[in-house]
Amino acid sequence: MAAELTVENLHLTYGDNPILKGVSMQLNQGEVVSLLGPSGSGKTTLLRAVAGLEVPHKGTIKIGDKVIFDGASGLDVPAEARNLGLVFQSYALWPHKTVADNVAFGLKLRKIPAAEIATRVKKALEELSLGHLMQRYPHQLSGGQQQRVAIARALVYNPPVILMDEPLSNLDAKLREEARAWLRELIVEMQLSALVVTHDQSESLAMSDRILLLNNGVIEQQGTPQEMYNVPQTLFTADFMGSNNRLVGKIAQLQDGKALLEGEGWKLWGRARPSAKSGAQGTGMIRLERVKVAQGPGENRVQPELTTSMFLGDKWEHIFHLGETLLRAHSATPLERGKHWVELPREDLWVF
Amino acid sequence: MSSVAAAPSARSGVPSFLTWRALTILVTASAVLGPLSLIFYQSFLTAPFFDPTKTVGIGAYQFIFADSDFWHALKNSVLIAAGMTVIAVPLGSLLAFVMERTDLPGKRWFEPLILVPSFVSPMVLSFGFVVAAGPVGFYTVWSQDLFGIAPWGINSLLAMTVIAGLTHVPNVYVYASAALKSLGSDVEEAARSAGASPFRVAISVSLPLIMPSMLFAAVLVFFLGFELFGLPLVLGDPEGILVLSTYLYKLTNKLGTPSYHLMAAVAICIVAITFPLVLLQRKLLQGARKYATIKGKAGRMKELPLGKWTWLALALLVFYLFVTVIVPVSGITLRAFVTNWGFGVNLFDAFTLDSFRAVFEETTHKRAIINTILIGTVGGALTVACYTAIGFATHRRDDGWSRFVDYLVLVPRAVPGLLAGLAFLWVFLFFPPLTPLRTTIFSMWIAYTVVWLAYGMRLISSSLMQVSPELEEAARSVGAGRGTISRQITLPLIRPGLIGSWLLVFMIFEREYSTGVYLLAPGTEVIGAQLVSLWQGGAIDIVAALSLINIVLVGIGLAIALRLGVKLRD
Repeated sequence: MAAELTVENLHLTYGDNPILKGVSMQLNQGEVVSLLGPSGSGKTTLLRAVAGLEVPHKGTIKIGDKVIFDGASGLDVPAEARNLGLVFQSYALWPHKTVADNVAFGLKLRKIPAAEIATRVKKALEELSLGHLMQRYPHQLSGGQQQRVAIARALVYNPPVILMDEPLSNLDAKLREEARAWLRELIVEMQLSALVVTHDQSESLAMSDRILLLNNGVIEQQGTPQEMYNVPQTLFTADFMGSNNRLVGKIAQLQDGKALLEGEGWKLWGRARPSAKSGAQGTGMIRLERVKVAQGPGENRVQPELTTSMFLGDKWEHIFHLGETLLRAHSATPLERGKHWVELPREDLWVF
Repeated sequence: MSSVAAAPSARSGVPSFLTWRALTILVTASAVLGPLSLIFYQSFLTAPFFDPTKTVGIGAYQFIFADSDFWHALKNSVLIAAGMTVIAVPLGSLLAFVMERTDLPGKRWFEPLILVPSFVSPMVLSFGFVVAAGPVGFYTVWSQDLFGIAPWGINSLLAMTVIAGLTHVPNVYVYASAALKSLGSDVEEAARSAGASPFRVAISVSLPLIMPSMLFAAVLVFFLGFELFGLPLVLGDPEGILVLSTYLYKLTNKLGTPSYHLMAAVAICIVAITFPLVLLQRKLLQGARKYATIKGKAGRMKELPLGKWTWLALALLVFYLFVTVIVPVSGITLRAFVTNWGFGVNLFDAFTLDSFRAVFEETTHKRAIINTILIGTVGGALTVACYTAIGFATHRRDDGWSRFVDYLVLVPRAVPGLLAGLAFLWVFLFFPPLTPLRTTIFSMWIAYTVVWLAYGMRLISSSLMQVSPELEEAARSVGAGRGTISRQITLPLIRPGLIGSWLLVFMIFEREYSTGVYLLAPGTEVIGAQLVSLWQGGAIDIVAALSLINIVLVGIGLAIALRLGVKLRD
């Protein structure tokens, strides 16, 4: 697969404040890559740097084989000549232009004959089920429709890469899940190469082929959604990618990739992660949904006290106290207050 | 999605955005700095620049510094500027508090009235005070009839200071109310529930919180005190009370010959006072903005119930409006329509249209009216176009050139209209290629445009700032260059703002008088400058009629602006 977008060792600074500290990544043809990270991690800045709206001071950016930014030689192709599609978080539809004019603008700038513009705009809007809204103005559309116009506007001139900045965050919660499915299907169907910024881990898991997790201006970890969720290399990744229980203790033993974590009144085996060191402080991490309520004692089981239960609709969430440590777990049925046996399976507990 | 379209390439042949930008900045810089450097150059000559016997030297400064009238004028200018600041700042802030934060009835109707003094020419207002409250003014005569006395005089330094202070209340009002708008009402409610009266809330909570804005307004008013011209000319001059601007104006007559070098030296002295004040203002404004963003919890805004204080607040407001708007405007209106007044004279019997007939019989007056309308409408539109071009030259570009333009547009602020007009007169005389334009209305227009540059740029940039940067970035990402974005995205989006700016520029151009004083010539007559000249000649009837026409023109602009919902302030 050919790389549509290549970023190498990109550095970017606002004043004295470094935002990107050497980011490298690739986006292959027909692939969706999410830039995931907490606010301030530099994900939007990276996207804007690729679009040409921010100027890095070091590194290179290539579209296909064409270098569009090179810090060393001072090459900086302006945003308008990069031929990328960009979808803004706010959609940024031009309020004085109709839907059709919004979409047609990029084609007009490319000096395409009017008749062809009309057919391509119509086709693009119909593909996004917006055909009947062509003559409306943006303020006459719902949030979801505006989002689709913004996508049509970015796609209509067939850019090699489409960049999306938090494309779903302006939609309300219910609409967002539908739009997520719709967007993923659209991208796959049209074989788009897309770089998507998001701060929502479930959105990135659902939408992408690959996730780049950014933390503080560097890539913390990258991989497929399954790898990111199931095999986190660092505590930060483990913590960011899901809802977790965190157990702090001492690493008493380390053997064959397994670690024994000891806390006040409990001992648990888990999978040792690269940062785990025998005899040092360690942190155990386990996804909420992997904690099981058991019927009696057994391997890797503890007996905490249940204090609070919450009904979430499709399941119950329970809060257990294990000494100072809080353990949260799900179950399909309600539980009595008091002591229970809880299992933290050793292959699901990571020790950092 | 079939064929792949390449990114649009820059068109050749059309001048690039950068060329166009450089040209705009260059033209602006020469229009601003050219006249000013000419004044500077002239002030270091011993004779007018066209005099073959001129030499370089500081004789002009020596002359004026040895003149006791100069020091007298300087002292008066400082006293008036300080006095009017002391009056305008508390009154303006208090009115802003009442209008912005309380439930005073009829607020919507009062606000345009409060701003009226800032839209009516000071020349006209001063004239209004003379005919209404002067020694034989309407109100003076009525008061003597009714009460036997009229315990005021308007020709003293104190009276001038009070009138100047009252007419500059709007300048404080706009800044104080803008700051109060961004203040959360929770702090006031807290004071209220702790037992403070509305007045107490204003004094102890709201106004201290907007201190930076009030300080800014204070510097502004103090600075405007040095620019006063119409007021001291009309009220002070008959009593021999000179200020710097009237001293400059009178210099011409002093020596009998054109004393350009002396005038230039005085002009430089005035700019030496005003320019630091303008820089100080800029610094304070940045500080005030920072402050506002820290304190601003805008959103939830609840009006403070005035309760029994309603009447006091209303009385304050009505008194202010009576003195600063009703008295002068009614004075002018009456004066324009009656032949005589006084004890036993029925004003209806004295009604006449002779003054207006006299105005319309004289070509120069007719031309003045037409020119004034033209300079406001056509000229105003061209001016807004120029300001917009400058705005685009710096829009979303944070480089050395933009900072240069930032300071450049501040320069004319420090140059009072009277001086700017003088400077442009010299430019037209100094550069022979421009001389033919001297007797056309173009000379007035360019001077007006430069004098109001800072004001206009504030209007334009506040419109430009309202355009979300993402709308322009979106256009870049689909392939639009800067020129295309400006024309097709930004310009259409700021159109409503530009129409509002045009109306505001129309009003200030109708109001302007001092800039035209030296540029007045057959062909360039405008009402404002014509009034100064007629007042000097003592043609009171004509002055009254033209003043009323001037008020009506401003009023039409104001009415359209209010109808269209144009914000009269930022």
